[in-house]
Amino acid sequence: MKSPYSYYVEPFDLNERPRRFLEAFGAILRHSNYGLVLDTYARTSAKCSRCAINCPIYENTRDVNDIPCHRSERVLRIFRRYFTLSGQLRSRLWNDFTLTDEYLDEMAEHLYHCTACRRCKFACPMGIDHGLITHLGRWALAEIGITPKALVVATREQLEGKTHNTSAIPVPALMDTCEFLEEELMEKYGLPIKFPIDVEGAEMVFFPAVSDYLLEPDTLMGNAAVMYATGGSWTIGTQNFDGIDYGLFYSDRMWDRIVKAEVAEVRRLKGKIALIGECGHASRSAKVGIPAFCGKDAPPVVNIMEYTHRMLMEGKLRLRPNTIKERVTYHDPCNIARSGWIVNQPREILRAICADFVDMSPRGTMNYCCGGGSGLVSVDEVRAWRTGAAGKRKAEQLRATGAKYLVAPCANCKKQLKEVIEDNNIEGMEVVGLHDLVIKAIDFSTAPTYAQDVAAKEEK
Amino acid sequence: MEAWLEFARGPLFRIAFFLMALGLLRHLVLTLYNVWRGMRRAGDKNLPWKTIFINTMKWLFPFKNLNNRLWYSITSVLFHVGLILTPIFLMAHIALWERVLGFGWPGLGRSAADALTLLTVVTGIMLIIGRAASRESRALSRFQDYALPPLLLVPFVSGFLAMHPSINPFSYTGSMLVHALSGDLILILIPFTKLAHMVLLPTTQLVSEVGWHFPPDQGVNVGIALHKENEPV
Repeated sequence: MKSPYSYYVEPFDLNERPRRFLEAFGAILRHSNYGLVLDTYARTSAKCSRCAINCPIYENTRDVNDIPCHRSERVLRIFRRYFTLSGQLRSRLWNDFTLTDEYLDEMAEHLYHCTACRRCKFACPMGIDHGLITHLGRWALAEIGITPKALVVATREQLEGKTHNTSAIPVPALMDTCEFLEEELMEKYGLPIKFPIDVEGAEMVFFPAVSDYLLEPDTLMGNAAVMYATGGSWTIGTQNFDGIDYGLFYSDRMWDRIVKAEVAEVRRLKGKIALIGECGHASRSAKVGIPAFCGKDAPPVVNIMEYTHRMLMEGKLRLRPNTIKERVTYHDPCNIARSGWIVNQPREILRAICADFVDMSPRGTMNYCCGGGSGLVSVDEVRAWRTGAAGKRKAEQLRATGAKYLVAPCANCKKQLKEVIEDNNIEGMEVVGLHDLVIKAIDFSTAPTYAQDVAAKEEK
Repeated sequence: MEAWLEFARGPLFRIAFFLMALGLLRHLVLTLYNVWRGMRRAGDKNLPWKTIFINTMKWLFPFKNLNNRLWYSITSVLFHVGLILTPIFLMAHIALWERVLGFGWPGLGRSAADALTLLTVVTGIMLIIGRAASRESRALSRFQDYALPPLLLVPFVSGFLAMHPSINPFSYTGSMLVHALSGDLILILIPFTKLAHMVLLPTTQLVSEVGWHFPPDQGVNVGIALHKENEPV
């Protein structure tokens, strides 16, 4: 039988799917705040189609199924029919919509044609957050087993596997990698920059996207160099060193468990802050999830770019201006930029070190998604869709900048943008992390005296 | 027909008005109650109040949001201006409101009221054409999306005709009866259709934010409800 989805799924129970879906949906509505949201959206949605203009995917495909409001209506329709009084009444009075297997299959396909970038939210006069509906719909589908296999397999390894991380990196391999990076830093900069492991009482416990240990050594070296130069107290925990949280993309139940594991590690090491590496979804899932799911005394969440920016502003990090001569541009990861959380900080850092920084347009809170958002970047079988339908708009934007370095401080965006560049034949552009460039510009000559600076100031 | 007209703008109007008021009050109270309940359950009690307020104001007075589909947006805003102001500030209506509410307020001059009415009718027709002509809107539209705008225009057209006997092909009483009945029907429909956004719109930005504020035990509870608490991932 041909699969109704463009992504692979694990075998799932085909019996009575509509009934089981409604059970799951009902349980979610009962125990969460989504009921209020759906109720309000179902009453106010005016079907004005303004969101279509803000969706880069619809702009490319011109397929009405890709209009954000059309996608959300698939979920709202089920809500109206089965979970509101008027829907139940209507279905008794005359033939009304009935949830079928085909309907679920179509919905499952289209909810994964959305990168949950939430750009459409700004176009909706009614304030409907279609990203939230995608988020909710995917959770309900996950409870009957319809989720891209790539996301489930990674989450399974993270929560129940031996290694407790999505890339299945064993602890000895992590230690080897860190040692190797330390040697590399010694060789390049002649400085004893450390990756502190399992240091109890360190202020910040570090959770990068774990794939950085395999794919982005330069970013990690940049992170460690900033910590060294600013005297930051940080550590990597061996029980949990993965900031990736696919729960944000397909199931709040998993989201909850993953952030709790992060907090447990911070507490084990007696840390005060969860420091998240250069990764959009890891940052947002922790920033939103940790205070939501982990109690009142949950540790605050800081993104490494926020830290670096603060150090720069406080004068504790000295960067050499105009170190990067080539043209540089910056891609806003939706998960940290859409809410306005991290927009200007990285730009101020880049302006401090780049001779030729250019911005894309639109940018910041109105940026275009890389096309791999909401976990789709991990779904390799949809690459053609990701770099075509979802990534073409981004590709045009990238080409227009003519930049040599594309700074994308997000593990998912990086992988996706590399593929966008390859599949759309953009010449001479290299995707890097923010700290890949920062490390080249750090003025280490003053760095070791930083502690003395502080002492001197305190004396005064 | 005179008796029917008296009924339509007397008892029926009062019933319709109170149905509307009660329905909208129910929407508003329930929404605010659920916002309060949602935030009481939520693990993270901090709401970005400033952002919510700014976004709400931006859409209540959407002058900065016109750039996306410019003509459609301007038409829509003008339509709403006419739709909101005319029924409230027309002299003849204020007398009617006084009968129900017991107090009145200053009204619009005759020519201003005429201009607002024509503006509403013209922009309303443009919106209907716009909806039917746009591929995206067609794909989204339900029955009520096509049916409500023409219905909203009926009292405007009939009221305008009644006030201008020289161009009115129908009798005054007939026009007024259509005017009053359609107005009553609209009032009754407001709480049951998307027109409810007239009170819910100021809450939607808040509601969306509350949606991202989760109860700490929602995942665990859903797991228990579905007997999945011990099931592997």
